[in-house]
Amino acid sequence: MIEFQNVSYEHQKGNGVNNLCFKIDDGEFTFLIGPTGSGKTTLMRLVYFDIIPQTGSVIVNEYSSEKMSNRKIPKARQSIGMVFQDYKLLKDRNLFENTALPLHVLGFPVNEIPERVEETLELVGLDGKDKHFPHELSGGEQQRACLARAIIKEPDLLLADEPTGNLDPVASFELVRLLETIHETGTTVLMASHNYNLIKGRGHPILELKEGILRGN
Amino acid sequence: MDKFFYLLTDGMKNLWRHKLTTFTAVFTLFLALFFVGLLATAGTNTHKILQYLRTKYKIEVFFKQDVSNDEAIGYIYRIKQIKGVRTATIIEKEDAIRIFKDQFGENIIDILGYNPLPVSAVVNINRTSRDRLSVEPIINEIKAINQVDEVRYQGSLINKIERTYTRIIDQFPFLAGIIIFFTVLVIYNTMKLSVYGRRELITSLQLIGATRTFVKMPFIFEGIFIGILSVSLVFPALIGSINGINYLLMNFTSWGIKLIFDPTVLIWLFVLVISITFVGSYRAVSNFLK
Repeated sequence: MIEFQNVSYEHQKGNGVNNLCFKIDDGEFTFLIGPTGSGKTTLMRLVYFDIIPQTGSVIVNEYSSEKMSNRKIPKARQSIGMVFQDYKLLKDRNLFENTALPLHVLGFPVNEIPERVEETLELVGLDGKDKHFPHELSGGEQQRACLARAIIKEPDLLLADEPTGNLDPVASFELVRLLETIHETGTTVLMASHNYNLIKGRGHPILELKEGILRGN
Repeated sequence: MDKFFYLLTDGMKNLWRHKLTTFTAVFTLFLALFFVGLLATAGTNTHKILQYLRTKYKIEVFFKQDVSNDEAIGYIYRIKQIKGVRTATIIEKEDAIRIFKDQFGENIIDILGYNPLPVSAVVNINRTSRDRLSVEPIINEIKAINQVDEVRYQGSLINKIERTYTRIIDQFPFLAGIIIFFTVLVIYNTMKLSVYGRRELITSLQLIGATRTFVKMPFIFEGIFIGILSVSLVFPALIGSINGINYLLMNFTSWGIKLIFDPTVLIWLFVLVISITFVGSYRAVSNFLK
């Protein structure tokens, strides 16, 4: 569950978001749409507590920005999966190591990790590529690797910030389908995009941001 | 426990993943520690060099003309009792003729018809003292013997050597402190650069919910491994260098100096490097996480 209550945040250089109020219930798939610079990434960062609102409050599952501390942030993020436009894969580790990393963070038993990684890579269509390093994968594959890393811990909430930004139309469509498949397992999904054609007609709620202000729901 | 072993092995794997950074850090630490090790060895051997120089200190005592060889033996016994005197060797009148002939190629009796050379003695002083040696009290006591005519010694040279030695010994802790401070600084900055080079990794780890400890531990383990690697290279390098210097000293000089390597230096170097790499990597990641 994500709830924004009169949330405002302004960056030093201007921009940001202004007086946002909305709620996304558990198990919903929501699109966040808006042009570049509209505040989509700021909103996402507020959700994973990378920034704390200057006014108002953000509630994500049982965590509230009002009671957030540096010690609580890792715990809050452990139930959130994140997919980024620039993937943020670790270049010095292969696909297996990248995907397994969240499980090590959560303290999973080592003997259970290989099977879980294998299942997740199969789900995103990267089975058999576990020894590959990020630079040996295509853009679409890297994005799916990023998705695998985000979902391996079975998060309650999956955030995807412009995940199709660097992908061709076919790969973009496949990725959205994959997100929908994950959503079907009960995961709440919030996906930001500036590509309206990609998300229209899918039957999911859309939040529209323009110059930091929420336009539609 | 699984998490701990993961972090430990990840720290080790990082050494291989970032070979160039590892090599640079190990090499920098190696140079810094090798220098500190050499300095410590020099410190523990300074007195050996001084002892060698002290063997060159020579006091020559000339007795009055009328003192016979037998009488001189009695006076020499008194000289030997003076505090700071190690040996005193008599040079009888006959020995003096021989020495004169060796030096000038002439027999003085053939020239003068009699032996004008007095009985004398060569006095060596105690060289093992770690304190500054002052020869003046010894000279004064020798001069106090009535039958002593003249005492010759290299007063200014001895004073200069002893003064220089005292100065080095006095300033050694200060000098060592400065060198260790800069060594700590070099090691600390090496660790800092190593962490800074992987800031993307830290950001990614934070985004997937890694705690501060989880982020820090591989860097700390990696830092300690770098320290262990460099110190294990320093040990043979130091021992090898000192053996090499000893070989040169023994085979190509007549100084009779053999440097002694104090094994506790290795323990100190190990403790030093582990402490600095631990604190250095811990602080470097902590600063980055702020």
